[in-house]
Amino acid sequence: MSKILRVNMNDLSHKWESVPSEHAHLAGRAFTTHYVNSEVDPMCHPLRAHNKVVISPGLLAGTLAPSSGRLSVGAKSPLTGGIKEANAGGLTATRLAKIGLRGIVIEGAPSGDDWYSILLGKDSCEILKTNDYAGIGLYDLIGKIWKKYDSKPGIIGCGIAGQRLLRGAGIFGNNIENSDPGRYAGRGGLGAVLGSKRIVTIISDDSEGSRPEPKQKEKFEQGRKALVEALNKHPVTGKLNNDEGKPFGGLKNYGTNILQNILNEAGGLPTLGFSSGRFKDAAKISGEAVHDLVDRTKKKFGDKSEGRYAHSCHPGCIMACSNAVPYEETGKLHVSPLEYESAWALGANLGVGKLYDVAELNRLCNDLGLDTIEAGNTIAMFMEGGIIPYGDGTAAIKLLKKAYDSKSVDGKLVCSGTKIAGETLGVTRIPVVKGQALPAYDPRPIRGIGVTYATTTMGADHTAGYTIAAEILGIKGEVTDPRKMEKADLSRAFQATTAYIDSSGYCLFIAFCILDDDSGFAGMKDTFDGFIGHEYDVTEYGLKVLKNEREFNRNAGFTKEDDRLPEFFHTEPLPPHNVTFDVSDEELDKVFEGM
Amino acid sequence: MTNSNTFEPLEVHLYGQLRQLIKHSKPDEDTVMMVDFIENETFREFVQRLGLSQSDIGDCFIDGTLAKHSTILMPGARIGLFPFNMVLLCGGQHLKGHGYTRDDVDIDYY
Repeated sequence: MSKILRVNMNDLSHKWESVPSEHAHLAGRAFTTHYVNSEVDPMCHPLRAHNKVVISPGLLAGTLAPSSGRLSVGAKSPLTGGIKEANAGGLTATRLAKIGLRGIVIEGAPSGDDWYSILLGKDSCEILKTNDYAGIGLYDLIGKIWKKYDSKPGIIGCGIAGQRLLRGAGIFGNNIENSDPGRYAGRGGLGAVLGSKRIVTIISDDSEGSRPEPKQKEKFEQGRKALVEALNKHPVTGKLNNDEGKPFGGLKNYGTNILQNILNEAGGLPTLGFSSGRFKDAAKISGEAVHDLVDRTKKKFGDKSEGRYAHSCHPGCIMACSNAVPYEETGKLHVSPLEYESAWALGANLGVGKLYDVAELNRLCNDLGLDTIEAGNTIAMFMEGGIIPYGDGTAAIKLLKKAYDSKSVDGKLVCSGTKIAGETLGVTRIPVVKGQALPAYDPRPIRGIGVTYATTTMGADHTAGYTIAAEILGIKGEVTDPRKMEKADLSRAFQATTAYIDSSGYCLFIAFCILDDDSGFAGMKDTFDGFIGHEYDVTEYGLKVLKNEREFNRNAGFTKEDDRLPEFFHTEPLPPHNVTFDVSDEELDKVFEGM
Repeated sequence: MTNSNTFEPLEVHLYGQLRQLIKHSKPDEDTVMMVDFIENETFREFVQRLGLSQSDIGDCFIDGTLAKHSTILMPGARIGLFPFNMVLLCGGQHLKGHGYTRDDVDIDYY
C-alpha cells in the first residue's frame, strides 16, 4: 500500500499519510502538481517557509515496465514564480517506489544554520543533521554517502548553488554507478527551494522494500511485453547493433546528442546566444563525436576505460540514451551524461566547439548543483554583455569556477539564472519565458516549439510540450489528422500528453517508438491502466494536470501577457532561414483559451 | 539532359554510417561530398543515384528544410544526409511530414 510522507522542517518532525482513494491515480507530475496547487500559497515567497517541495516517483516506477523510473519534483519555482515540475532518472524513483512511497511533501524551514538530510527506508524516516554534507562538491558528496551506506542508496539533493539559494540550481540525483551526480531534475531553480528548507540530501534505501504489484497483472504484463518489443525493434530506441554488427539504435549509439548535427542541418540550432541557427563546430561536440571518443579510449585503455554509450539513466531503462564521456588522456570518467541540451547550452550556444571544454563545463554544473540549460544561457549573458568573449571555453570554465567562492559576485551571478544575469549586465536579448531560459531549439524556424515555450506553465521548456505527441494524437487519438488541427489545439493536445507521460514514470522517449508502432502505444496505456486497475484517457488525464497548473499560475498573478516570447525573436531574423517567430498573440492565447 | 557541369554542384553533408561514402572521414568533423547537379532531379532520384535505398535514410534536409521525396533539387543546394537511425526527436518532430517514417502526414512546423 503506497503512502505519503510529510516532513515538517519547522520542527524536524514527520508523519505518514495514506494515499486518499480519490488520489490513487496521482503520481509523478500529476502528484506534485496536485499537492503544490492544493497546499502552496501561490503568492508565497518561493525561497521561504511557505513554499513546499513535493517529490513523487512516476506511477510505474519500480515495476518491470521498461524505462519507467522517472522521478518528479515540484514546487513554486523561484525562477518563474509559477508552478514547476522537473523530472529525472537516477536511482531514487525506483528506491521510493519499492519502499511504498507515492510521494513526499516537505514543508516549513528550520531556524538556525544547520544542514539536514532525510534518510528513508521501508517504514522509516530519519531527519539527520549533516553539516558535513554542505558546501562541498557533489562528486565528493555522493562518494561520501555511498561509503557510509553500503545499501547503494538513491540520493537526490541540492549542491552549493541551491544551498546558497541561487535560482539556477537544480535537484541532482546520483546515477546507477554512483560515479556522477548528473541525473538532474534541473529546471526551475528547484535546487534552491530544497536549499531553503536546509536540506542537502534525501537518501533512500530500498533493501527492505519490494517491487510494486499491478492490480491487473495480466493486462500489465501484456502491455509491458508489447512496449519492450516495440522499443527494441525501433531504429531510434532499439538495440545497439544489428545482426551484422553495424550501429542500429540511434539513441544507444549517439544519445540525445544525436540532435546536435540534425538541428544544425535544420538551421534551428541556437548559436552564439540565439543569433544563428547553425554552428560551424557542431560536429565536434555531437553525439557522434562522443561515440568516437568512447571507442578511441576503449581501444587505448581497454577495460580500464570508463567511457560509455548505451548507458541507462535508471534501473530498467532499455533505451539507454545516456553516456559517460571519458578524458581522452586517461580514459577515466569526465562527465556523465552529456545530453543534447547540455552540449548545446554549454557548446553551440556559447560558440564553444571543443568537446573537452563542453564536458568540463557540464562537470562543473553537476558538481555545483546547477541546471545546465540555465547555466549555459547565463554564461551566454556574460558573453552577450561583453564580460567574456563568445567562443572562449577557457574563460567560461574560469567564470563558472568562481561559483565555488561564496564571496564572489560573479560566482553568485553565474548561478542566478539567465534573466537576473542578463538584466544585471545590461543585456536586452535575454532568451527567457516566465524567467526561465530557452532550451536547444530556436523558435523562429521551429515555431511549434515556440508556441510551447510561450504557453507552457513551466517557463520555456521543450519537454513541456513534447512535440512528438502531436503525431501520436494525430494518428492514434481522437484526432485523425494533424493537418486539420488548429496550431493552438495541437499544442494543447501535446502538452496534455506530455503531462500524462510525466506522471506515468515513463521517459518521454518511449513516445518515439509509439509513433511508429500501434502495439507500443497500447503497451504504454495497458501498463498504466493495468497497474492502477482503471482505464484512463491519456489526453483527459493530462488536461487535468494542466488545468491544475494553469490555476496555480493564474492565482500567482500570471496572465496571457506572460505567454509570450521575448521581443527579439519577433524582430531579429535567424540565419540561415532568416525567419522571425511570427505566431500571433491571438493564436498563442487560443492554446489555453477557457482553461 | 542538361550538362550538369554548368551548374554549381550539390554540397552533401554526410552523417553517421553515411560518412563511409567518403574515405577517411571522421565523426567529429564535417564530412562533405560535392556531387554533380542534375537538372530536375528529385530528392528520391538523388538518393538512388548515390546507391542508397529509402530504408537507408533518416531525416534529411535540403537547405535546412526537411527533405521530401518529391523535392526538386536546386544548383548548389546543401543537403544534410542522415542514416535511418538518425531522426528528429523532441523539439523537431513536428518538422516531419517528409514521408520516410510516416507517409500519411504532411505537416510543417507541427
